[in-house]
Amino acid sequence: MKTGPMTTGPMTTGPMTTGAITTGAWATAWRIARRDLNLRFRGLRLLLVCLALGVGALAAIGTLTGAIERELSSRGSTILGGDIEVAVWQRAATAPELAALTRAGRVSAGTRMQAMASTPAGAAVPVELKAVDGAYPLVGKLRLADGRSVGAPPAGSTWLASGAADRLGVEPGAIVAIGGVPLRVGGIIADEPDRLGEGFTLGPVAIVGADLPRAAGLTAPGAMYRSKYRVALPRGANPLAIAAQVKAQFPSSGFEIRTRDKASPGAEQFVTRMGQFLILVGLAALAISGIGIGGGVASYLEARRAGIATFKILGATSGDIARIYTIQIAVAALAGSVIGLIAGVAVTPLLGKALGALLPVAPGLVIDGAALASAAAYGLLVAFVFAAPPLLRARSFPAMALMRARVSPLGRAARDALIAVALGIAAIVALALARAAQPLLTAGFLAGVAALLAVLTGLGAAIRWGAARLPRPRNPVLRAALANLYRPGAQTGALVTALGFGLSAFVMLAAVQTSLDRNIMARVPQRAPDYFVLDVPGAQTGAFVAAIKAESPAARVRLVPALRGAILAYGPPGRMIRVADLKAIPDDAWPLKGERGLTYSEAVPEGNAVTSGHWWPAGYAGPPLVSIDEKLAKVLDLKLGDRLTIGLLGVERSATIASFRRIDWDSLGFNYVLVFSPNTLAGAPHSFAATINLPAGSAKKPLLQRLVRDFPASSVIEVGGVLRDARALLSQMNIAILAAASIAVLAGIAVLLGAIAAARASRLYDNVILRVFGASRRQLLALQLAEFGALTLVLAVVALALGSGIAWGIIVELFGFDWLPDWPRVLATLGGGLVLVLGFALAGSLPLLRARPAQALREL
Amino acid sequence: MTSPLISARQITLTLGNGAAAVPILRGIDLDVPTGETLALLGPSGSGKSSLMAVLSGLERASGGALSVAGADFAALDEDALALARRGRIGIVLQAFHLLPTMTAQENVATPMELAGTADAWRRAAAELGAVGLAHRLTHYPAQLSGGEQQRVAIARATAPRPALIFADEPTGNLDAATGAQIVDLLFARRAESGATLIIITHDAALAARCDRVVTLADGRVASDEHTGP
Repeated sequence: MKTGPMTTGPMTTGPMTTGAITTGAWATAWRIARRDLNLRFRGLRLLLVCLALGVGALAAIGTLTGAIERELSSRGSTILGGDIEVAVWQRAATAPELAALTRAGRVSAGTRMQAMASTPAGAAVPVELKAVDGAYPLVGKLRLADGRSVGAPPAGSTWLASGAADRLGVEPGAIVAIGGVPLRVGGIIADEPDRLGEGFTLGPVAIVGADLPRAAGLTAPGAMYRSKYRVALPRGANPLAIAAQVKAQFPSSGFEIRTRDKASPGAEQFVTRMGQFLILVGLAALAISGIGIGGGVASYLEARRAGIATFKILGATSGDIARIYTIQIAVAALAGSVIGLIAGVAVTPLLGKALGALLPVAPGLVIDGAALASAAAYGLLVAFVFAAPPLLRARSFPAMALMRARVSPLGRAARDALIAVALGIAAIVALALARAAQPLLTAGFLAGVAALLAVLTGLGAAIRWGAARLPRPRNPVLRAALANLYRPGAQTGALVTALGFGLSAFVMLAAVQTSLDRNIMARVPQRAPDYFVLDVPGAQTGAFVAAIKAESPAARVRLVPALRGAILAYGPPGRMIRVADLKAIPDDAWPLKGERGLTYSEAVPEGNAVTSGHWWPAGYAGPPLVSIDEKLAKVLDLKLGDRLTIGLLGVERSATIASFRRIDWDSLGFNYVLVFSPNTLAGAPHSFAATINLPAGSAKKPLLQRLVRDFPASSVIEVGGVLRDARALLSQMNIAILAAASIAVLAGIAVLLGAIAAARASRLYDNVILRVFGASRRQLLALQLAEFGALTLVLAVVALALGSGIAWGIIVELFGFDWLPDWPRVLATLGGGLVLVLGFALAGSLPLLRARPAQALREL
Repeated sequence: MTSPLISARQITLTLGNGAAAVPILRGIDLDVPTGETLALLGPSGSGKSSLMAVLSGLERASGGALSVAGADFAALDEDALALARRGRIGIVLQAFHLLPTMTAQENVATPMELAGTADAWRRAAAELGAVGLAHRLTHYPAQLSGGEQQRVAIARATAPRPALIFADEPTGNLDAATGAQIVDLLFARRAESGATLIIITHDAALAARCDRVVTLADGRVASDEHTGP
């Protein structure tokens, strides 16, 4: 017997048990993976595209949000108009208060209120009257359209916002009346540095000198105006400390104090919330991309079956296989993420431009590290979740099984794949919740998306199951098309999930937007009054009603006393909680934040119902009483008999809680959380607010002109104008959401193309066999059309049912509106998506039609 | 007397389950001493390739006892069998099964790298030189002829200096002249290393060059003849 020098000892010892599965295992795997990986990522391009799409969307949204937030934060003092702003309703600061502010720094004082601007020709628009002193602007520059940099307008003139000038039809030099005082238009405002800090207004701004409101009688006792004091602090002074000091010094002042670090909390909150919502929509799109990633990785590993077998024959363990292909897929995932990040940053300015007026500031080209890191983390985690099952399947396959089962797909995922997927999903959810401002809402959205994906997956399986049991059509083309929906390896389920999600989102958005739009256009005007009028002087209520009746006898007028005050304390007598002592305002206790509208009433207000306690009798003159919204009572744990203290014009007033009310917020009239017994507030100076409902078909212009002329201190707000603005805002928000949802459709199309590519061999085989037996190209094209037509039909039904179902829930159940979708627009949106899908499907299949039978048979 | 390199007792292999179960090997007994060259003959479907798969640890037998170089292959799982092959068992396949994305040198170096061999790269180059492909180190499989590809496959199998080489129809995809060159090369490389060589073939002439010829039929050993000195 021959013995060879190479014979080693028993194979159970030595490197067999340790081998290269040590620290060097990854290094070896890296060397092999690098060699085996095509530099152009052939076979992994679907993964690359899907990941780039998803990460790009998230990066763009995150970067845009970050850029705006950074812009808001860096321009804090300009937006605020100083380092600190102290605002107070219906009064000016007292001498000691003003002295305290002046001691802190340079002060600019002014007032803000609603007013009417009108022209001698009879045009009238509500404006936000901004009266400023000589120190304005403390920070930044007020620029006019003619290029001048100015401060407060000279006496007898005004700077008008372009919106006001356009609507009044005036140019510089023209005369307008504000609060009944004639003023010359001194210029049109091009850039108002503190515009954003002023918050939401019901009309364009008109800037006037500080004295005008008083001269026009607009600050009479009870008038709804706001005094604002901006303070520019000396360098190095701490605004927060000074704000706290002022608050402590004047606890009952009703001061609302803002500092430069939170110059525009409303805008910041809007941007943050909109950004987070869009991130969630993007995340949902990324989940769809994940289906493509999973399909791409499975196809890639399927194509490398022989390679994996060879590695195993050469002594590679399942661990080696997992390492080699994990490295390859990780490299591709990183590349896809980087492409996505670059694209995301690059499209941010374009996105900013598209969203235009919806954004508080125009974002530039910025690189927001945190947003990009988060987008990349989401992308890599989604890639991990969807790539893990095929990777683990490939790892656990024995060498000979790989060699033998060339035509069957890889086996089922091992149990450890479930663990990996669960861990990945948990990490994604944790990341989303950690970055969420409203974790509950985020959790709800994620659960909704998961439920939708589960429903779609179930539907996909059901369609496949159903297609297999349908009677076989006699037409061979239809028969083959139907069979392709359930043949082994058919990706019907994945396609229904991937494309169904995006198309359902399209249908949902179209149905929600058109329903909201039609509600705003049709239903809201039916319920809402024609005009809201603010600041009707108490002494002129009779004349006010008479003037309206004179113009429109059938008009319905409702007048309510309007005051403003802040809740200072609440709770059982002797154990009352002071709002100033709360570390944080409880969720849903928004009436505790700053000053709110207050009123009093003899009777239960229209649209309200007492749910607990008793309403005070007419002519009640006992101890002060208050009726509270039952929701607020629940949030603050208030009981009947508890006490409530408010700050009104700098004076504290307390009342006993006599009843709780349910408020019908849909009534679109004046609704108040706090309604006092008349004897509690009647003594305080106040004005009235009014709603006017005109009979259908009434001419509105004469009434408007008369009210502006007869009641110059009052502001008349036409509901139609507000609705126009709301519709425009809604439309722009819809564009933003649609853009994010489009990524889901694009990802779905990528999944479709991936599925076509993955089934290339079997489709080629079918086509070649059919060609051999005489099928024409036209017949083959008809087959593809029939197959994808059937799929598109299924998708249309799924998307229409799911999308409109969810939209119905949002419109009817969530918003309480009427279900009024514009079906032609909804169907056109869906049709557009379906044509896109069908077009891509056929374009992806065309190369197969060009295959020459003889050549293809040799290669198969 | 030293124990045989391969000792197989009552090896069975059944593929599929239940009604679909197909018996492939039906009780094979086989001892292969170290350094022997053995030809496995038999018609298609007789179980030659399956027996090679079991003996090389690519497939686990359904039954029986199998010891290869002292290792109890029946007791090893898939990964342990992979580790057992490393550096000890070289396999040459009919369809070459080179990794298409790697160059000739990379293909030959890979099994040694998997085994943690330090100078894998240099040894791969040397082995390719030994099979006459020193000028083809950086060529990809698609850039090589069939004969050259099989030379690379032989180099890949012999480079780790295995104790046992399996060759499954190594000339099946080659023309007669090239096939003869490949067989000469295979025997020459084996002779240099002294490894045990098991060749699966239909070719009686090739079988005649081996020390021993085992013929399979219907999953059983039909004959076992020593032809060598």
